[in-house]
Amino acid sequence: MKNLTRRALFTFGAFASLAVLSFLGIDALPGDGCTALHGRFATPAKIAECREEHRLNDSVVVRLGNWANDAVHGDLGYSIKRDDQVAQIVLPRIRNTAMLAVVAGLMAFPSAIVAGLLIGRYPQSRVGRIINTLGLVAMTLPEFVIATILWLVFSIWIPIFPGVTVVPSNATILELLPHIWMPALTLAAVVFAHSMRTMKAGVTTVKLMPFVESARLRGTGERVTLLRHILPAALPPVVNTIAVDAAWLLTGTFVTEAVFNYRGLGRLAIDAISDRDTAVILPIVLFGLGVYLTMSLIADMLVRLLDPRLRQRS
Amino acid sequence: MMALFCGSAVLASCGRTTTTSGVLRVANDAGFGGAETMDPYDGNRTWPTINMVFDRLIGVDKDFSPISELALKWSSNDDLSEWTLALREGVKFHDGSDFNADDVVYSINRMIDPKFDSPVRAVLGVIKAVKAIDDYTVKLSLTTGEADLPSLLADYRALMTPVDSQATIGKTPIGTGPFKMETFDPEGTTVLVANENYFLGKPQLSKIEIITFADSQSAAQALSGDQVDLLLSIDGKSSSIFGDSAKFTLQTIPSGDWNAIDFRVDRKPFDDVRVRKALRIAADRQIITDTVLGVGGGVVACDTPVWTADPYRWDGPCAKDTEGAKALLAEAGYPDGIDIDIHTSDVEVHMVELVEAYQQQVKDAGIRVTIKMADASGFWDDVWMKESAFVDSWGQRPAAQVLNEVYRSTAAWNPTGQVDKALDAMLDDARSTLDLGQRKQKYAAIQEHLFENSGIFLPYHKTLTRVMSSKVRGINPIVIDAVRWEKISVS
Repeated sequence: MKNLTRRALFTFGAFASLAVLSFLGIDALPGDGCTALHGRFATPAKIAECREEHRLNDSVVVRLGNWANDAVHGDLGYSIKRDDQVAQIVLPRIRNTAMLAVVAGLMAFPSAIVAGLLIGRYPQSRVGRIINTLGLVAMTLPEFVIATILWLVFSIWIPIFPGVTVVPSNATILELLPHIWMPALTLAAVVFAHSMRTMKAGVTTVKLMPFVESARLRGTGERVTLLRHILPAALPPVVNTIAVDAAWLLTGTFVTEAVFNYRGLGRLAIDAISDRDTAVILPIVLFGLGVYLTMSLIADMLVRLLDPRLRQRS
Repeated sequence: MMALFCGSAVLASCGRTTTTSGVLRVANDAGFGGAETMDPYDGNRTWPTINMVFDRLIGVDKDFSPISELALKWSSNDDLSEWTLALREGVKFHDGSDFNADDVVYSINRMIDPKFDSPVRAVLGVIKAVKAIDDYTVKLSLTTGEADLPSLLADYRALMTPVDSQATIGKTPIGTGPFKMETFDPEGTTVLVANENYFLGKPQLSKIEIITFADSQSAAQALSGDQVDLLLSIDGKSSSIFGDSAKFTLQTIPSGDWNAIDFRVDRKPFDDVRVRKALRIAADRQIITDTVLGVGGGVVACDTPVWTADPYRWDGPCAKDTEGAKALLAEAGYPDGIDIDIHTSDVEVHMVELVEAYQQQVKDAGIRVTIKMADASGFWDDVWMKESAFVDSWGQRPAAQVLNEVYRSTAAWNPTGQVDKALDAMLDDARSTLDLGQRKQKYAAIQEHLFENSGIFLPYHKTLTRVMSSKVRGINPIVIDAVRWEKISVS
């Protein structure tokens, strides 16, 4: 109970301080939402009117207080640059980014676990070596290179995927689905090797441990040894790797989004910062924090489930 | 892993987009980052969408002469200070209401409203008052005689909007144009459908989709993958991708866009006309043009902002003269050459390359240029017009407009701070001259005067490259302002 309270307090504190820091940080940058809106056509009169209208003349503390009050009541505020409710702008992008992350994750993580398990168990296999090398190459190549290669192969030479996304951010999931495979493949290729190699390293260590040998000596079949004994023991570090990669899939996909014109959070976040659009930046930043906290929480719980020693201790 | 990939491939091929006949898909850049509005008088107007939905009073023909759009006829009084326009009757807005003189009065009043301060005011600020004589006649009173008012009214933003539309026009525009707004989504896909009752004839296309690309590279990918049909402009250097394929049509279009290096004439050493002349003749403009824009990417200008297709264009000469520049500098008190700082930024393409090419060109004449890089986000606020020498960038404008907007002593955007009463008088005289031949001579004299005196080094006008699928018909190789959207078809 005490632990839970502490964790809740920490979570709240993290969100609050990140919100305050972002607010102050954007405020410290030169220019504001009104100069970004008017750009080259800004005149002192227009800027003054715009600042008055959007109450940018209030002190940063007052604006932060107003924002927090609205946010607690479910109102994410208003974007000066885009002349629209922030919820209308951000929520469809969060959905798109989440969809892309889920598809990329489903492509990368299960296959990485299987591949890592087999390569770790049978290191001499030729197929295993090839997969291992390909994964390493993909991990070290910049995303835009992978993206361009995939585009050339699957959209121009063998045209089975649409090359870039041409549907709006609020398109239905079915409309969006055909456009998701290439960016998802790119992201999957980038993260695949991380968890695959962690898995492989785990299996390499675990397979030589005494409990595996004792299982074998008891006459347990090879398949059962692999799935019942080696796999659970090798998984905990992989779960943590996957958690970090999954969080990256939800927050770090700007380059891939730009190449495929995919309308997710990445581009919006960068635009919003150059637009000094505080109301748009805050939900994105807080979403990112939420993703990392949630992922680490899930990873902790999974590791606890997988490792009986941790369960008994708590 | 492979099984998963193939499974998804099968699914994806089901949803692959194919070209529908009668739909034009245009790639658009995200120039204003979500602030785009359909209000044609706003600084963030989204272009060329506004030209599909609204019409001007007067348009431009292929040779840039004024032609009828919503106004049928126009005439002026003897000193060119009052213009009467007869409007087309029977034209309806997309909501079925009639277009008449009240809408013209409303629209022009918004364009020239000093409080709203529209960028169009820079073009049509010469209009003092607009009055409806009857339902289909309006009279424009000008502050001065202006022979080229019809060309100024053909500005791509001088569009006619219905009375009292200010509050709603930004997102739900109602115009008289060939296409009606169905969905406005400037960061996604904007959809327009044909206006069957368009007064210049039923559009050939049933639909136009304007698809936004934040990255120009992904827009080029979309064209090669047959996901869009038209890229309005493409970097001259990447156009080679599309050059040798029968699937694409490449058009190069002379334009009036220009870059310049501006020197503040109210500061040393640029207050000396000899120094300015030396800075101007020390550089080979053809080499600068070819270096910055690529060979064939631009046309040399002798410091005139008037572009090649404009009837008032003056062509020089302005060859490189290193010895002449040295002599002028020595005469002005700089026998050992001169050191200058030029500020630039990558806020727009070509702005850094220009000053780099200039630096190389003028060093033989003893002009030592130091390049100062400024951050893109603050360039227009903190550097442009504020430093002593800086790089500039302007879009195409007719002669009467650009000369008055950039060079007149009292202009809000006179970037060199030059006060030149002689030039102002020449401008007034030229615009109020009735005879075209005389007017041409007077405008040529103005441009020659600029070459001798002004603080703006203007080496080229850009040539734009447009790429489209060869299925697209009806787009002439002319600037987009003169494209008739109702005549375009996709086979």
